[in-house]
Amino acid sequence: MIWRFGLFDSTFEPLLPTHWALLVALGLPLLLGMLAALFPPKRAWPVLLASVPVLVSGLMLLSAYDQAGLLRWQWEIAGIQLSLRLNGLSVLMLLMTQVIGVAAALYTPGYLRLSETGPLARWLWPLMGVVLSALSLIWLATDLLTLYAALELMGLAAVGMLMLSGKAPALVAGMRYLLLALVGSLTYLLGVALILGHWGRLDLPGLTEVVEPGPVAWFAAALIGAGLALKAALFPLHAWLTPVHESAWTPVSALHAALVIKASLFILLQLWSILLPDAFYAPRVIAWLGMLAIVWGGLLAWRTDSLKTLVASSTVAQLGYLMVAFPLLLGPDIAPLPRALAWEGFWLQLMGHAFAKAAMFMAAGNLILATGESTLKGLAGTSRRLPLSLLVFGIASITLMGLPPSSGFTAKWLLLQAMVISQQWWAVAALLIGTLLTAAYIFRLFRYCFDETAPRHRYQPLAPGMELIALTLALTALALGLLAHFPLELMHGGSP
Amino acid sequence: MIAFFEAVAAFHVVEVLLALGLVVSALVCLFDRHLVRACYFFVVFAAAMTVAWWQLGAPWLATAELVLGLGLTGPCFFYALGHVLPGASSSLERDTFSEPRSRVAIRVLLALAWFVMVGAAIRTVIADMAYSPLEHPLLLAGVVIAASALGAFALHRHLLRRLLAFNLLGSGVFMLLAGVAGTSATAQALISVGLLVAWLGSMLGALLIRQLLHLEGVEALGRDGKPEEDVT
Repeated sequence: MIWRFGLFDSTFEPLLPTHWALLVALGLPLLLGMLAALFPPKRAWPVLLASVPVLVSGLMLLSAYDQAGLLRWQWEIAGIQLSLRLNGLSVLMLLMTQVIGVAAALYTPGYLRLSETGPLARWLWPLMGVVLSALSLIWLATDLLTLYAALELMGLAAVGMLMLSGKAPALVAGMRYLLLALVGSLTYLLGVALILGHWGRLDLPGLTEVVEPGPVAWFAAALIGAGLALKAALFPLHAWLTPVHESAWTPVSALHAALVIKASLFILLQLWSILLPDAFYAPRVIAWLGMLAIVWGGLLAWRTDSLKTLVASSTVAQLGYLMVAFPLLLGPDIAPLPRALAWEGFWLQLMGHAFAKAAMFMAAGNLILATGESTLKGLAGTSRRLPLSLLVFGIASITLMGLPPSSGFTAKWLLLQAMVISQQWWAVAALLIGTLLTAAYIFRLFRYCFDETAPRHRYQPLAPGMELIALTLALTALALGLLAHFPLELMHGGSP
Repeated sequence: MIAFFEAVAAFHVVEVLLALGLVVSALVCLFDRHLVRACYFFVVFAAAMTVAWWQLGAPWLATAELVLGLGLTGPCFFYALGHVLPGASSSLERDTFSEPRSRVAIRVLLALAWFVMVGAAIRTVIADMAYSPLEHPLLLAGVVIAASALGAFALHRHLLRRLLAFNLLGSGVFMLLAGVAGTSATAQALISVGLLVAWLGSMLGALLIRQLLHLEGVEALGRDGKPEEDVT
């Protein structure tokens, strides 16, 4: 498990252009965000122009990984060791972050122009920059200090973004999220304190060599797990998620649901693979909770009347699929083949969900913006007037339901194969029930939209790019299933 | 018993006084009904923490606490209260407390359970703690502060109270961290990042509270932000 995260020594030193690419990938989103706060872009094309170097840096890092395999950076500042690594998985996550981040940034000018956002709108840009920079750092960092700093920076900026809409419900939900996230971070810090006190080091490659199973590792894993599960909205610690999205701005919701909660999950899996290799009970508990999450999230999404709550509750259920894979990734007595399959399925599901959920939030935002209604009933008759938004919603839900040829299908296929080989029938059952529930809540939404008897309302026209950006994201999620060999090759961790 | 008294006798007098001061100011800050006074006691607490870090041989942390805790986090609370100039009156002087007893009991039990878990965790590694709690009463103070802050966090619904409780919980956890891991450069860096996060979080929270007060009035802060009909 550990080698898949690239926690070993590299063969080659990074070249000079790679250093620059790293610097640009980590720093430029932040810099551009601050610049945009001073001169808020009114149109999408300056944003597009500015995001070209960011995407180029991601592609340069990809090609550097292609040529040299795993790369490591290490610095020592005043006796504190900081280290980064670039393996296939982190390149993949970085590219995903950049593409979704750029899409959200391109969507933003049109959205801000059309909706009454108030004077706080310009602060969205620097916060977005902080979130994207911190996310990029999380995928690369391999010491607990950098991870902690990046995680907190991302979390605080995310809270800031979510409450920008300034309405009382948003503030209240944001305040609760803030307090929970802060207490979660203290829990995480206490776990890190145990690790530092017992083994005296914080760098992950070094820890993989010295950590042995025992009460200290268990308690540290429990504390870190509790803190991160709270931040990742893993069932049953998900209650803060839906109210937070209810009144947040669309690009913010897209970024948060697609990327921010995934970062905590990434850290959780990485740290548990070091602290709890071959543990029996801990991954089982996560998997059982994941099954409940699939059912509960699906039911919540099925029963709700609000469009945003539907999309947000579906995140809770989709995270359940990832939780169900935990015993296959971390448990004992799993043969190499199902473990490799589960590994591929896990990350493909995570990426597919990220793209599909970002697209879905944008489509939902477009529908709400155009109709002025945020309930499902208010969508009656939209099939005639807003077919493109509904098409985006439909393509994104193909991925969420796991129908072929989407990435959701490929991911679930891989996970199912792993579960059947290792004979985890309850997990198979959870996956199938989840698919049915997803279909149930998606088709419930479409039933309202295709209500032909509804009276015609006046719809607000959308900015030109807004539908196209959402469509691109949804098609990316679909294409990841057809072109799955590219991400799957990268995911093999850069093993020699 | 004698061993206990010998251990107590081995305490440094300054440290004992400091630990007592920390605990008392933390308790007043957490449970005094008068909010402005509670905030003043937070400032006292931060000042005592600065001296405590100095005492534990961590000058960098003392500086960080002085700048971040005392200089930047403290004013956040006064800003949230609207009590920026001394002598200005505030609409938020006291908070009320009207929770059903069953809910209070559940919250306190949950907080206790959580704390027992953490205590057990600390206990398992106590063999290789950098500072033994038997020699350093400051660590005992850290445990007490973290416990009471967690209890207060679970008990109070008032948003400013919870923000204060989070800050004190943070200080208790940092003290435990220093006790478990020593005051090496890495531990100091971790705690400094933690202090920075606590300041940024408090600032964000203060802005939120201010805005919420502006939109909804004083009542909104006491309900944990739930809509009115949910509470009754």
